[in-house]
Amino acid sequence: MVLYDSATLGGSCSGSSSSSSSSKPPPLQQRQQTQQDIDGFLAGAGYRVRSSELRKVAQRLERLETAMVNSPADLSQLASDTIHYNPSDLASWVDSLLSELTQPPTCPSEFIMDPVSNQTVVSDAWTTAEPHMPQVHQNISYEQQSLNNQLTVVPAMEEDSGIRLVHMLMTCAECVQRGDFSLATSCLEDMQGLLTRVNTVCGIGKVAGHFIDALSRRIFQGIGGGSVNGGSAYENELLYHHFYEACPYLKFAHFTANQAILEAFDGHDCVHVVDFNLMHGLQWPALIQALALRPGGPPLLRLTGIGPPSPDGRDSLREIGLRLAELARSVNVRFAFRGVAASRLEDVKPWMLQVNPKESVAVNSIMQLHRLLGSDPNRNSPIETVLSWIRSLNPKIMTVVEQEANHNQPGFLDRFTEALHYYSTMFDSLEACTVQPNKALAEIYIQREIANVVSCEGSARVERHEPLSKWRTRLSGAGFRPLHLGSNAYKQASMLLTLFSAEGYSVEENDGCLTLGWHSRPLIAASAWQAVSDGTADFPA
Amino acid sequence: MVQNHHCEDHETVGENKEKRPKFFINDHVDILIEILKRLDGRSLCVAASVCRLWCTIARNDSLWENLCFRHVSPPSSSVRSVVLALGGYKRLYTGCVRPVRSRLGRMRKASWSRDEVQLSLSLFCVDYYERLGGSNSSGRLVGESSPSSLMFLCKPVNI
Repeated sequence: MVLYDSATLGGSCSGSSSSSSSSKPPPLQQRQQTQQDIDGFLAGAGYRVRSSELRKVAQRLERLETAMVNSPADLSQLASDTIHYNPSDLASWVDSLLSELTQPPTCPSEFIMDPVSNQTVVSDAWTTAEPHMPQVHQNISYEQQSLNNQLTVVPAMEEDSGIRLVHMLMTCAECVQRGDFSLATSCLEDMQGLLTRVNTVCGIGKVAGHFIDALSRRIFQGIGGGSVNGGSAYENELLYHHFYEACPYLKFAHFTANQAILEAFDGHDCVHVVDFNLMHGLQWPALIQALALRPGGPPLLRLTGIGPPSPDGRDSLREIGLRLAELARSVNVRFAFRGVAASRLEDVKPWMLQVNPKESVAVNSIMQLHRLLGSDPNRNSPIETVLSWIRSLNPKIMTVVEQEANHNQPGFLDRFTEALHYYSTMFDSLEACTVQPNKALAEIYIQREIANVVSCEGSARVERHEPLSKWRTRLSGAGFRPLHLGSNAYKQASMLLTLFSAEGYSVEENDGCLTLGWHSRPLIAASAWQAVSDGTADFPA
Repeated sequence: MVQNHHCEDHETVGENKEKRPKFFINDHVDILIEILKRLDGRSLCVAASVCRLWCTIARNDSLWENLCFRHVSPPSSSVRSVVLALGGYKRLYTGCVRPVRSRLGRMRKASWSRDEVQLSLSLFCVDYYERLGGSNSSGRLVGESSPSSLMFLCKPVNI
């Protein structure tokens, strides 16, 4: 019999033994002396255990529990083969279970998962238990169902299902990359079958579900991405808003960018901020308030917000502008707003922004630059066009916040793998949020990103995330030099994270840039840049 | 010494009950305000439920301003105009300052830093902006949900 390390169980054992000893009231003890010290309370529940053996039985029960959780394969055997002659004799029952469990079991998961696999799969360990094998084979399908019904077994089962799902996802992605769509389709069917056996409310099941959807969209609907990118502007704004509420990534982005802009505007009286994606303008109230309270008084603030045109004649950009103007008026900040409606950032021309040569300009891009990375051989690279006109504005500061992931690799399988890791981490961090409907809508927001990364190609694929190192190279090459985000930004970001009740978020400083991540996996990176003046700038510095 | 005094009172009270007026705090609003100024947030809210006079006084924003900036050097006057414009000190305290301070573990400590003040004000401003959206426009922008940017502060801390 294998002896488990009782030292590890010692701590919990002492707890249980002390509780069991405290359940022995003295008067009962006297009454039961004739019954060989049978514990009175357990007798009331139908179990006959000697008081002197209570501690030993408790220890053995804990060992049994550990063994049951760790090796579900043996559980199937226990379900069918163990015969209990005297269930009320708890001590001997536990002992017999333990002795059966400690037969060396191996390869539990594959054995259970493949009921029709031939016997060569079985390892040598099972051959020692020869008489049990035929029974176990026959009972496999029954046990699988009974296992699925037993809630206590689900965690161990699920881990194996989860790992298997991930393997199948990788296989399917590889088939897609090779062009073997028939095999990919059968993989998909298998995965969908596996999904029914996994908890899809949280964890790997949920993320896998989204990736399976994205893969099937790619295989069956092609890479045009019609339904993925077809969301209306109103829908996108709503999802974005709920993503803002549910997790700290956007708040971190806004607060860090605002702090950098505030520091850059120190001492300037006429300032102009260009926002590449206005949405509901949630970033700007905090900046307006900070400018209102800065020593020396607020400057004249102009805000130019770029956003998609609204289809139903409603001028949503103007409405946001009015709201911001009202807030600015309440806090006595001179404010002017201008909206630029453009469906793609590369359609914006610098003259639309109407930058005054005397004012200090800040350009703010929250997760917008990566959309320009799709290269069309017929046109100039859009990212270079945009970066060059940004540079021509000679901004005091350009704040760039991007997802810290490598989702723009040419190879599909690499992209798929990277996306699986990234979004699993992001969904993990979202688990900590309990506020509905924020959480559900935030998940839909992320799901759309996943669908775009996995199922779209060419101009339809806009979520072309690149890591900070690549952005550094790109921006330095385009004539920008990095500005270090100061310690104030770091302190503010750390404080902001402390306010979130989840314990896994971490802010890190990366050579002057700040990254926010979940358990040391950075998920979003904020950086600040300034145009290198080389004498050929259109506007004087 | 106090005991002697009481003994004396006890003797005289029985004789001169009608002549000695009872001290009723509501007659001395200035003292009442001084006392309420020194309370903490929770007690101030409780005090507001005592009677109409106390409720009116407790609603006075200057009490809450005192509470927010009690142990900090008095902030510039511009802060006051900003805070009043954004909804007042009571709202600032209950919505931002108290949750921020408790989350950052500073409830016990007397003073809190300028950075925490800044952060609370910024969050307060975002909240005001969202409230603007709900009441002003047709409400389509923010949807049916009430302004929720401070909801994350309301959640219980995960220990």
